[in-house]
Amino acid sequence: MKRNNYWELLLNPFTRIAGLQAFGLGLVFVILMGIIGTFSHVRFDGVIDMHLVNQMTFIQSFTLLAIDILSIVIVMWITGVIVSGKIRFIDILGTMTLAKAPFIILAIAGFFTKSPDQTEILKNPGIILNSVSFIFLLILTLPVMIWSIILMLNALKVSCDIKGSKLTATFIIALLISEIISKVLIYKFL
Amino acid sequence: MQKINLNSMLPTYCPGCHAQLKVKCLKCESCQTEVTGSYDLPVLALLPELDQQFIIRFVKNSGSLKEMASELKLSYPTVRNMLNDVISKIESYEKE
Repeated sequence: MKRNNYWELLLNPFTRIAGLQAFGLGLVFVILMGIIGTFSHVRFDGVIDMHLVNQMTFIQSFTLLAIDILSIVIVMWITGVIVSGKIRFIDILGTMTLAKAPFIILAIAGFFTKSPDQTEILKNPGIILNSVSFIFLLILTLPVMIWSIILMLNALKVSCDIKGSKLTATFIIALLISEIISKVLIYKFL
Repeated sequence: MQKINLNSMLPTYCPGCHAQLKVKCLKCESCQTEVTGSYDLPVLALLPELDQQFIIRFVKNSGSLKEMASELKLSYPTVRNMLNDVISKIESYEKE
């Protein structure tokens, strides 16, 4: 496989896989994230957000992931219907679920991260610098989030056939709305 | 994408000024009769070679995008988007 093909597969696998296949694969990643996240105390509390917590249950972990995915899928689907018209819900569901996959790296990284106490951080933010593993996780978070956002952008592009500046503008708005909705739902239910 | 040989492609745009070309002369290979005039090129002939190949493949697959997707090893929405691009090109040629 050529190097360009690897990049395409990593950043835009949706030209090759979408719909039910993508949903099945995405679901495998999400279930693994839910299980690993519970044990590594990584909380995916937002469409593009995660935090380390002291304790987590399976129910909390999977409820958070369900809220994240439902928020992004519903908002992107409505966006697609408004902007593009003829789209299949299964394409949005599949591609957006698979776009969440990179976050599994952070769930695994949670095992190797020792988080300073939240109250201590609030009192003295400089305490973060004492935890090398925590700084590593913070640095790792950025490329993972960017990767996931690129995947979501390409998911919208392929599933809804939106291009150019229209794609960028609608994606940013839809992503922000879905992030807000997920935060509100998490605040209400958990 | 596997190429379908369309032999020598009909030139559709002027190499000098990029204006759309017209058909001036048609010739019968059997009796050498020549017909001259000014005829518009058919819309499908104006499409780029890849789009023409796409249409041939689409017809051969009885218009099934699902079958085309599995043949081309692409996802269904990608093939549908390719078809949308061809449709918008045809619509723009029809407006010209």
